[in-house]
Amino acid sequence: MSTLRDEILRFIMELRNAGVRVSVAETLDAMNAVAAAGLDRARMREAMAAALIKDEADRPTFDALFGGFFAGPRERGQTEAKRAGTQSSAAPGAMRSEGESFRAGKSREEPTPGGQPKTAKRSEKSAEAKTRAESEKNRESAETSGEKKQRTAERPSDTEPAENGIDAARRARLRVLERTPFENYGDLEYEEVRDLLPRLVRGFRVRLGRRLHRARIGRIDFRRTIRASIQRGGSLVDLRYRSPRPRRIDLLVLADVSGSVRHCAALMLELVAGARAHLSHVRCFAYIDRLAEADFVEGHLVTTPALDVYARSDFGRVLTELWDRREQLLNRATVAVILGDGRNNRRPARADLLREAARRCRAVLWLIPEEPARWGTGDSAILQYQREISTLLPSRNLEELERAMLKIA
Amino acid sequence: MDITQESVNEGLRRAKYVTNERVETAIFLALALEKPLLVEGPAGAGKTEIAKVLSEMLGAELIRLQCYEGLDEARALYEWNYQKQLLRLQADEHQGMRWEDISEHLFSRDYLLERPLLHAISSPHKTVLLIDEIDKADEEFEAFLLELLSDFQASIPELGTIRAITRPVVVLTSNRVRELSEALRRRCLHLFIDFPGIEQERKIIELKVPGIDARLATEAAKFVAAIRKTGVHKSPSIAESLDWARALTRLGIKELSNDAIKSTLGLLLKHEDDRAKVEQKLASLVARR
Repeated sequence: MSTLRDEILRFIMELRNAGVRVSVAETLDAMNAVAAAGLDRARMREAMAAALIKDEADRPTFDALFGGFFAGPRERGQTEAKRAGTQSSAAPGAMRSEGESFRAGKSREEPTPGGQPKTAKRSEKSAEAKTRAESEKNRESAETSGEKKQRTAERPSDTEPAENGIDAARRARLRVLERTPFENYGDLEYEEVRDLLPRLVRGFRVRLGRRLHRARIGRIDFRRTIRASIQRGGSLVDLRYRSPRPRRIDLLVLADVSGSVRHCAALMLELVAGARAHLSHVRCFAYIDRLAEADFVEGHLVTTPALDVYARSDFGRVLTELWDRREQLLNRATVAVILGDGRNNRRPARADLLREAARRCRAVLWLIPEEPARWGTGDSAILQYQREISTLLPSRNLEELERAMLKIA
Repeated sequence: MDITQESVNEGLRRAKYVTNERVETAIFLALALEKPLLVEGPAGAGKTEIAKVLSEMLGAELIRLQCYEGLDEARALYEWNYQKQLLRLQADEHQGMRWEDISEHLFSRDYLLERPLLHAISSPHKTVLLIDEIDKADEEFEAFLLELLSDFQASIPELGTIRAITRPVVVLTSNRVRELSEALRRRCLHLFIDFPGIEQERKIIELKVPGIDARLATEAAKFVAAIRKTGVHKSPSIAESLDWARALTRLGIKELSNDAIKSTLGLLLKHEDDRAKVEQKLASLVARR
């Protein structure tokens, strides 16, 4: 039995190496689960998955590792053949021999055939698994979608029969996309995210709604609570809250939709559009070299007046336009959110106008989808703008964008 | 009932629950290891059904706790029956009883309102406890559940700790409106249920809609699967496709034609947008079958 136990422990180590969180309690559960379910391969896999994998997004990792680790008699030939291309020899199928010795009730101390070299190979393999997991992570962020499709096709068919599905895959994909930097987006990725967006918008709305709900209830007014309690002999029966301060926010969104950041901008505008019900006054603008009101009609970004998509971005001019319309757009309740990389094609930055504008409104926040290392390099005027605004928030991928948006609300 | 994998499979079959090995194993483990089972998956994939089937299979009472925002201990575990206590107090005062005597029975089981969780723990028989849509409850409630799920006991200050006589079978379901805490996940076995494949859905339809034409069942299953792939707002659930199949048989439809689909689409899709979307694509969806 002890060999099987070691085997499972080693498998869990590899799972952890691949980035799956497994606690000690779950390890124990996995042992009990295998003991209860028996050594039938498919059943054992499901048993271990139920005990170890608590997030469906981790399931592909588990299946891939399981396939390589506890290779069954049939798959053994396949994996071996596959491995032969890259490595001269390997030792899958360890599980089987140990399973047999366990069933036959042989002595525990008896070494499994070729025990010593196998562990060596095992560690080699675990190192391989680690690098594989790492390189996969890197690749996910870097590679183009074409390669990605190819890779999914290459994935060992061992994972799960066609039965499983749509929702799980979608979720796992969303998690990958959430961490993919916007600059690596091709049109394909963007379309994919658009497909997944309804779920994201729903989540965003729920979280936003919950936060605003809590804000509405307000804070406890300690003095009034104590005073009220005196009527009841000092017991704090009913709590008195501070009357919520009327806090109106006029959200003003300016999003750069020029080539460099258009995906990020479109997604942000759509997120805002989806959460409109919770925000009282929202005005969305898109800009490249001039301002245009942005709206979503049936999932498409529509700007009035139409923007020249081939124009070169000029935030200085946009600021001038904004300043001309300050009476309508900027007041004490305005929170302005600007999204852009601050790359101005070496035209006048007009940071002075931004300062004046910031003075007229409650806050100005800037979301920047660029690496901090690249701020202020080349034609970037972001450092000039940074001095004039309240907060600069990075939003390099969907996850950061969503977090930044929650901070704003 | 003796619990083996085979007996579980057999029980599921008898309860008319069509499923795959993944679900069978998870259910078996939940019973064998006496651990709570956390079921996740899209709405309408049959999560709640698992608990119902389990209760039917074990012949145990199903106790259901529907979670919602603001659910608290008083609604989930127990509450003192204040009205009854007050009445008792007034009645006792007239008889001139001393406080010690009164307080002794004021806080006894007679004045306790058992809520689902306490009911599940204190029941002398095996029960199936379904904690539905745990993701809708607040995080505080989730934390409170932890004690209950790991030790199957609850403490009531006036009465002491109540331990489960027979451990209930616990099934939690979640739609992932919010991420559940790691602590809760650790204590549970995890099962993800997705929509069934075409073959599996056909089996379900044939089993639950007696008298349906075999070919119609296949076509219906294929069509529903095609709809789910189009990325509609709300994918049709299994229950909805069963309703639809029932309607089709009831209307005497033998073959899925465009008109037949159009007139009954309301049973599958409950959003006007979705409906318009699918009607538009109807030609391609039917062709894909």
